[in-house]
Amino acid sequence: MFSDRRPRSFLEPLVLSRLANFPLFARKPMLGNVSGRHPSPHRGSSVEFAEYRKYVPGDDLRRLDWRAYGRSDKHFIKEFEADTNLRCCLVLDTSGSMEFGSGGVTKIEYARKIAAALGHLALQQGDAIGLSCVAKGVVRSLPPRRNPAHLSTMFDLLEQAKPQGETRLVPALHELAETIRQRALIVIISDLFVEPEELRGCFEHLRFRRHDVAIFHLLDPRELNFNFRRPMRFLDMEGGPSIFAEPNEIADRYQKALGGYLEGLKQVVLESGMDYHRVSIDEDYEQVLIRFLVGRTRAKGGR
Amino acid sequence: MSFLQPFLLAALPLIALPIVIHLINQRRYQTVRWAAMMFLLAANKMSRGYARLRQYLIMAARMLAIAGLIFAISRPLTGGWLGRAGGSRPETTILLMDRSPSMQESGRGTGESKLETGRKQLAATLKTLGSARWVLIESNTNKPRELESIDALLNSPGAEPASAASDIPGMLMAAHDYIKANKSGRTEIWICSDIRENDWNADGGRWQTLRDAFLEFPQGVRLHLLAYPKPAPGNRSVRVTEVRRQKTGDGAELLVSLSVGREAGGETKESVPVQFEIDGARSEVAVELNGPRADLKDYRIPLGKARERGWGRVSIPADANLADNDYWFTFSPPSPRHALIVAEDPQAAPALQLAASIAPDPALQCSADVIAPDGLATVEWEKVALLMWQAPLPEGESAKAVRAFMDRGGQAIFFPPKTPTKAEFLRASWTEWVHGTAEAAVESWRGDQDLLANTQSGTALPVGQLQVRNACGLSGEFTPLAVLKGNAPLLARVATTTGGAYFCATTPSPGDSSLATNGVVFYVLVQRALAAGAAVLGSTRQLVAGETSGENPARWKRLAGMEQAVSSDYPIHGGVYQSGERLLAVNRPAAEDGAPALADRRVAGLFKGLDFSRVDDSAGSSGSLIQEVWRLFLAAMMVAMMAEAGLCMPKPARPSRTAS
Repeated sequence: MFSDRRPRSFLEPLVLSRLANFPLFARKPMLGNVSGRHPSPHRGSSVEFAEYRKYVPGDDLRRLDWRAYGRSDKHFIKEFEADTNLRCCLVLDTSGSMEFGSGGVTKIEYARKIAAALGHLALQQGDAIGLSCVAKGVVRSLPPRRNPAHLSTMFDLLEQAKPQGETRLVPALHELAETIRQRALIVIISDLFVEPEELRGCFEHLRFRRHDVAIFHLLDPRELNFNFRRPMRFLDMEGGPSIFAEPNEIADRYQKALGGYLEGLKQVVLESGMDYHRVSIDEDYEQVLIRFLVGRTRAKGGR
Repeated sequence: MSFLQPFLLAALPLIALPIVIHLINQRRYQTVRWAAMMFLLAANKMSRGYARLRQYLIMAARMLAIAGLIFAISRPLTGGWLGRAGGSRPETTILLMDRSPSMQESGRGTGESKLETGRKQLAATLKTLGSARWVLIESNTNKPRELESIDALLNSPGAEPASAASDIPGMLMAAHDYIKANKSGRTEIWICSDIRENDWNADGGRWQTLRDAFLEFPQGVRLHLLAYPKPAPGNRSVRVTEVRRQKTGDGAELLVSLSVGREAGGETKESVPVQFEIDGARSEVAVELNGPRADLKDYRIPLGKARERGWGRVSIPADANLADNDYWFTFSPPSPRHALIVAEDPQAAPALQLAASIAPDPALQCSADVIAPDGLATVEWEKVALLMWQAPLPEGESAKAVRAFMDRGGQAIFFPPKTPTKAEFLRASWTEWVHGTAEAAVESWRGDQDLLANTQSGTALPVGQLQVRNACGLSGEFTPLAVLKGNAPLLARVATTTGGAYFCATTPSPGDSSLATNGVVFYVLVQRALAAGAAVLGSTRQLVAGETSGENPARWKRLAGMEQAVSSDYPIHGGVYQSGERLLAVNRPAAEDGAPALADRRVAGLFKGLDFSRVDDSAGSSGSLIQEVWRLFLAAMMVAMMAEAGLCMPKPARPSRTAS
């Protein structure tokens, strides 16, 4: 897997080996190229019976159910479910705000770990994996492939992703919704510093395109608690104007704004059917991924 | 509000410390790169209402806490001591206690007199204020006496009630002399008085001198007046105006005339029982009081034949002021009224002799001798009641003899010589005759007191009818009793320690004036002076408290009166005393009865330009004049600190947001 054996800072083999026990399932039928472990919207040749249908000329006579013909004197074709692989598209936010981290780990580093682990998991189970870095727009993009060498390319891309510039997540997501072929698993890893109502549109767009969307909403604990004591001058990491504030004075209103945002976002993701995970980056990412994988196993979708 | 440690108020700018710290804190900000700017922007757009108010409240609470601490350690005082009573501790505090009888009035519903209340209030107040040295100026002697502590004021005999009037300007002058002699540092003078006109003598010329004198002190002198101006309405007083012993067919009787007065406010008709006590025998008569004053004329009290002399007491029931309910008197056969006439003008001498030797009452013996100025050596001074001197003013041995006569209470009237010399007596001297004043009329005269006072019925003497043809000028310090047109004195009085000498600017000779021809005024004048001089010579004598008039108090023995009084203070306490063979009755001055209080504006005018404050109190008041209230400020500070702590307390921690 690691042809050049170069160590990656975001890869932890022990964590990956433990995560290998948890399969990555899609919540919706996927459209893959080859046979896999995910349900497909089409009939196929799995062992799982799907339905009978009337024979029409041109059908493969091998699939005619002779026993049914014997009982009913009619010709029925016996159909089985198809299992396919999935195309997992990782969307990594590389805007300037992702560089923030108060506890030694920045959001981009945390995001790399999640993306790398998911990519490894998907490839291990034969799924195609792709990566799109978004900031002002789609900065870098790697289409989904399922050969192991592709994983290395993706890791290179992850390593090279530098957080900079402002967030224009909404147009980027609209663009990806259009460019990624239908019925893919799209994993968005971002701090989502966009108004929830603006996100609603792109989430609806992704759902319309029958994508299974999972979101890792990364937040720093300091962003959640806002536990400053002295007066601070806050420099915008995305190049906006700086703000001088007395934390004692502004903390209440900050918390109010944050609470309103989180509440609004929760409402939007619920209504759009997103698989939403709010993550404080001081948490262990392994636990976050286990929760994510287990949750998807429970919600494994029908066809 | 005032402070015991006002210099600590200099720390008041420290109140701004929280603001300064806040501003410094603002400047010492940290810079941080921040991702979640959208929330900060949203927070900035929100109303800052409560958060900003909370910040202001916290700041105000901190400032209040500091202010409370500073005020508390500055030891604030509350009370009526008008502003600047407090301050840094004075080096010397001088107390002027008005001990006059009017200060013994008690308030309604209390038995405590103004003097007692004033003493307690001053002791409590000054104990709080503190001082390095306490000095009490006694009202009768006007001598300063140092007190060990302010508590000694409560027991000091120098602050006990007395029957004598107070001389507030004199006491202030004594305070001034004390400050000057001792070179006191910062000094405070506290006057406790009921500001009666007779004690303050607001019209006197000494006040201007006092104001100027106090202003000269570079260290500054603060004057405080604790005033008890409220009179006791309906307070009654009794005073004997005349006592005569006369023989009757079967013995003798005493004729006592008295007057009963009452303070303004008691206008209803009432009957006042007046009790007489002579040698333990008591009798009572009711006096109808229908106005401010009622007189009882010649009330007869029978006496034994052998009772030639003695003493008695008149009293009325207890009321608001116990000090004016008793009056002591003595009686004895009238002493002979002998006048000595020293005259150089043979025309004037007969008139003088005639006026002095005709007795106004058949029971009186009046006589007059005429001698030349050089015949003084043979005079029996102890028998002389009045000296009439119409010659150049005495000098040398003559002056000494006349002065000794006056010091023992003798009266003297000086008339101008034919040729005035430069001789001075009692710092007064004749200047020169002004002839041909063409029967100058008298412009004004003092009808309220002294030799030209109105008669007992209130009728004025016909002084205005006098004609003065020649008048001699008078120089020196004197009080004019009658003034001619052109402001030249006709009759003047030069004060001495035991009374005074009179200077008449003209002679009774017909060429000089109509004193002899229109003799009523002259006769009254001479007889009054003669009576005053004879009063000293008799075996009994009526004295005004505080004036010894030639008597030697060291020989006095108390027969009746205030028992607590120490012997050295007998002259200022009402009562009857025996001095050798003589009986002396000491009573409060007439002016003490019903004397009005000075108007506030007049009091303020007396201290104009000086560092003066005044507070009015009432007898029996229990509220402290001054009180330390630092506890209040300390409590305010604690409340402020608790409020600050409450406002700064962080809100309960919200449940931590974790991945959902």
